Amino acid sequence: MMRRLAAAALALYPLAFRRRYAEEMKALLEEAPVRALTVLDLLRGALAAHLRPGDGPQGVVGVEDRLRASLSGVLACWIAFAAAGFAFYKTTEDAPFARAASAHLALGASHLVVQALAGAVSLAILAGGLPVALAAMKQARHRRSLRAPIGVALGAVGLVCVLTGALVLLAHTPHGVHPTAPGRAGFAVWGLAVLAAGVAFALAARRALFATSVSRARLLIALATATLASAAMAVIALATTAYAVGLGLDAADLAGTPNGPIGNPSTEATLAAQVAAMAITCALAVVTSHRGWRAVSNTASGSSPATGDSTRA
Amino acid sequence: MLDLWPRAQLACYYYVMRYTSERATDPGLLVLASLAGGAKHGYAITLDVEQMAGIRLGPGTLYGALSRLEAKGLIEALPAQERRRPYRLTGAGSAALADQLQTMERVARDGLARLRAAEATA
Repeated sequence: MMRRLAAAALALYPLAFRRRYAEEMKALLEEAPVRALTVLDLLRGALAAHLRPGDGPQGVVGVEDRLRASLSGVLACWIAFAAAGFAFYKTTEDAPFARAASAHLALGASHLVVQALAGAVSLAILAGGLPVALAAMKQARHRRSLRAPIGVALGAVGLVCVLTGALVLLAHTPHGVHPTAPGRAGFAVWGLAVLAAGVAFALAARRALFATSVSRARLLIALATATLASAAMAVIALATTAYAVGLGLDAADLAGTPNGPIGNPSTEATLAAQVAAMAITCALAVVTSHRGWRAVSNTASGSSPATGDSTRA
Repeated sequence: MLDLWPRAQLACYYYVMRYTSERATDPGLLVLASLAGGAKHGYAITLDVEQMAGIRLGPGTLYGALSRLEAKGLIEALPAQERRRPYRLTGAGSAALADQLQTMERVARDGLARLRAAEATA
């Protein structure tokens, strides 16, 4: 059990670090006893390696793979961000919130910005990801290594569609999705299953991306759209913060009431958790986008390997 | 006023001891000290440091230190032996280790002398 956790913790290290030291670290873990403290030490080491990339191995990852790492990072951030955004939508969808948004300009405007940019981010992710996804599917005809991750990614999307359809059907039964206990349980199961599907999709997409031959130009276009999406995520997080603050100031009674399909403690607390999740994921997306561009500029200035296509994620 | 002097001395000794103990348990310094005895791979460094300083470096701490030292040019990797790769000190690493150990030795010597002087006057 501890050895498996240690192996999972190793997977959390940055790409360059894994390429340089992972085999040695695995050999060390096979020789030495693995305890809970060993796993914690690996987790702390992975965090430190992400926070101080300058201390890590340089020139191990080529620019194409650095771009792949940035793209898959932004995709994972967007999935987590979208989960928080969907929770925000569910928290503020009821009629009293619509009335508050009509009565107070700041609330209405910030909610509109969130909705409009959520659509824009999704389109940007789709525009950048679709050409790469199509290239992966085309190459999967001849390459077996691509079939499994593409199958998992498509399966995750299919699972979300089926479960969402089932939830909609449940919502139209006499019990509805909420506030009855079966309705709440159904929503909770749907939420957990969608989160698991999101994680599976992000991991499978990363594996497929590293196994797909894509031109640098196409990767750069994808990174440009990912950067736009990251910037839009930052604006959405700011607008959500403005909405949460505005709700506390302009509709304090609404902010303090329990809300949502699973009976949240209070709207204010729920919004604070959603803002925190959005801030963390969009900060990670901005950082990973920046690292992609830095790799490109380092290559242009000749301080980094120009190529490094690999099938190892 | 009379109470302040012993307190200041105690604060000074505390700082000295903390400085030397923190430096002495710095993973980078421990790895450099271990490699001063010859090239070693990760597991051998772990065993050597445990024997030398009584500290067991976790794999995350060990490879974090190896990565930093390698990036600074203080150690270098030798050709891999199966999956294990030995490391050895570079010239810069030997100089940096000697410099750090001399500083620690000076701090420890002065701190101990002051402690003895304080105990004699107490």
